[in-house]
Amino acid sequence: MRLRLTVLSVVLLLGVVGGGCSERPPTSPTLPSAPPSPSKTPAPHPTDRQVAIRDQHLLNIKLTTHEGRAVRFYDDLVKGKVVAINFMFTTCGNSCPLSTVHLAEAQKLLGERAGRDVTFLSITLDPEHDTPRVLQAYAKAYGVGPGWYFLTGNKDDIERLRRKLGVYDLDPIVDADRNQHSGIVVLGNEPRRRWKAVSTLSKPVRIRQAIERTILPPNKWPRGAAVVNEAPYEVRDVVEPVDLSALPPRD
Amino acid sequence: MELTRRDLLRWGIVLGGGAALSSGQRVLQAANLPESPPTRPFVVELTKANGGIPATAQPVRPFATQADPADCVNVDGTTAFHVHGPRTVPDNTEFFLIHEQNTQHSFHPDLPLNDLWGYDGKVPGPTFVARSRSFPPPGGGRAQLVRFVNDLVEGRLDIGEPITAIHRHGGFQNPEDDGYPLDTFCFRESRDYFYPNRAEGGLLQNEHSTMWYHDHAIDITAENVYRGLAGFYVSFNTLDTGNETDPPPALGLPSGDFDIGLVIQDRLFDRNGFLVYDNFDHNGFLGDKFLVNGKIQPFLKVQRRKYRFRILNGSSARVYQLFLSNNQPFVAIATDSTLLERPVTVQNFRLAPAERVEVVIDFTFAPDEVFLVNRLQQTDGRKPDKLVDPGTPLLKFVVAKNAVRDPSRVPRILLPVTEGPAQLLPQVRVQRRFEFNRSNGAWQINGEFFDENRVDARPRAGEPEIWILESPGGWVHPVHIHLSDFFILSRDGKRPPVLEQGRKDTVLIGGDVARETRILIEFEDSREVPRAGDRLRYVFHCHNIEHEDMRMMSQFEVQT
Repeated sequence: MRLRLTVLSVVLLLGVVGGGCSERPPTSPTLPSAPPSPSKTPAPHPTDRQVAIRDQHLLNIKLTTHEGRAVRFYDDLVKGKVVAINFMFTTCGNSCPLSTVHLAEAQKLLGERAGRDVTFLSITLDPEHDTPRVLQAYAKAYGVGPGWYFLTGNKDDIERLRRKLGVYDLDPIVDADRNQHSGIVVLGNEPRRRWKAVSTLSKPVRIRQAIERTILPPNKWPRGAAVVNEAPYEVRDVVEPVDLSALPPRD
Repeated sequence: MELTRRDLLRWGIVLGGGAALSSGQRVLQAANLPESPPTRPFVVELTKANGGIPATAQPVRPFATQADPADCVNVDGTTAFHVHGPRTVPDNTEFFLIHEQNTQHSFHPDLPLNDLWGYDGKVPGPTFVARSRSFPPPGGGRAQLVRFVNDLVEGRLDIGEPITAIHRHGGFQNPEDDGYPLDTFCFRESRDYFYPNRAEGGLLQNEHSTMWYHDHAIDITAENVYRGLAGFYVSFNTLDTGNETDPPPALGLPSGDFDIGLVIQDRLFDRNGFLVYDNFDHNGFLGDKFLVNGKIQPFLKVQRRKYRFRILNGSSARVYQLFLSNNQPFVAIATDSTLLERPVTVQNFRLAPAERVEVVIDFTFAPDEVFLVNRLQQTDGRKPDKLVDPGTPLLKFVVAKNAVRDPSRVPRILLPVTEGPAQLLPQVRVQRRFEFNRSNGAWQINGEFFDENRVDARPRAGEPEIWILESPGGWVHPVHIHLSDFFILSRDGKRPPVLEQGRKDTVLIGGDVARETRILIEFEDSREVPRAGDRLRYVFHCHNIEHEDMRMMSQFEVQT
């Protein structure tokens, strides 16, 4: 409970700062001819950074939840929240099932934080097939908990959002393969302006830890007994026969 | 060749533009972040006064060493892995106390001050000067113990987490002193690092020259280094004495004010001139402003004589190919941590993240202005695109009018190699293969992410091995192996180019460089006081730091 209050107070504090400064006139996109004097040290404005991230990455596209509710990505799902966002599609037989299993496991490990302190957002890359009803059945099959929305929408909108969230491959052939995009979960704390990504194929305990660290400021991270013990120590020592013939001749 | 007005125009220098420099183009696909605001090139001088020539770290009175902090929670939720201490140190050990601090840093007078993190509040950090105990320079060798104190606060930039571990890159040191990524310390905590300053295996050929120290905290290294946590750590020995007037067998390389470290980094700024990091791009961060020692496109006044420059690529993902504007060749004398056996004359050289090349430049007959130019264009984290002409000038050398007496020398033999591939290859009994690949939007080694509870290789101390490093996916990866230097044996079956025939601790693989690289590596035990239960675990990883933070990292455990 104490932790929850802390999170809330951080959000409130930032909200107050942000609100107070939103009345500031927008900075001109062109620089003034005289460079700013280094003697004055204006702080980069938290709101500036928040707005820049929103404008660059958090498209406010229309989506529909697996419960059939019409939502806006930024306004309704991300603004003021901690989110874990991944892309998937229900007919994906590649890494999607494992990703969903790992995320569901991480959600369980988060306990009461899930749905309260963090929202899971799984966005389909196959919106034509993955209607809200299909997504609802998928969510049910994986036993997902509260605060997890499966989302469908306009295909082009979703593709733009995927790229803006950094879930893409520089190789267009790889990028065209939908199977390649379910391996990343983007974690964000919108009011704190902290964003990162971890692999959904890493252990669920890792995903849970990364999410907790996204929720809380560093000085509030759990210590000692709250830190999960890892799996037993594993040794791999794979060697192969030495092949000197593969080496170029030397002087 | 004199620099013509046309050259200057092509570089946009006369126009004073910083925008659209050909090798600085950025094509970020996750975001179309605006270009950094313009800055006038070559108006900031690198001086000792402004930190552009880093100060030398000064020893303090010896203090009692302490146990390592164990309760700092890492970004990934784990606590410290190696918890030791107090350290047992030799009698004449030099002690240092370094505070990691927020600092109001000036990149350029056209930009506002930025709230960076620096070792002792300096960007780059103070330069440590070590003296080898194995083959000491005149005056003797010393071990060093550095206490780093974490005084970092989040401050005014949303970059980095105030959780740190310090890696002396290229250093031969114990696992608890290596900056293992989970051995972190948090705000108001400190950790002691013992640097034995001994040559690996007691061999003169393994004496180090230019190391560097930087943050290595799990999952957050890229941002912490980007915010300023990096500095030089140089070392001298009986041959490379650090004094150009010492008679042979001392090498007599340029020393003192004529021995300068230059760390090259790229950065991006928002329209108000504040540092920006793109947390949504995991391919490898690229900036469009080029720093030398923390200053954007600075100049350096030099005399008409020889200089030794220790050039380090401290960028996250950008690879450089460096030229001099007057077509003068570089005399390369070291690659990564170690002097070459013989100097090598090259017209240009490639420098991948974390690599170092030491060069001697003789300005005796140089024009009044000489530019250090990057001609390699790179527009994403995957690999460099191509060589371009004219490229981007990074640093202007302003050469003094009159020649001066120059007692320095560049001998024909620098550091003899007594145990090279010819001697070691017949002893090799073990060959290992590591594939660096991208899969499902993340980066892996042999299909795995870094896991501190998994060891992927158990080499025996003193037994040379062949490691095959593969990057089949078209990406380049600067692979860094901790603890030991290595020799590059082959690049796709061919002999490596001449500048890759010396010792390396970081090697660029993949892309257009080589799909398959074979190296010869032999690990040694660095401990002076072995203890029961010690596990000699060290990491190796991609030094494209965004890839490293996405866990393109593995570990080996040396068997004794």
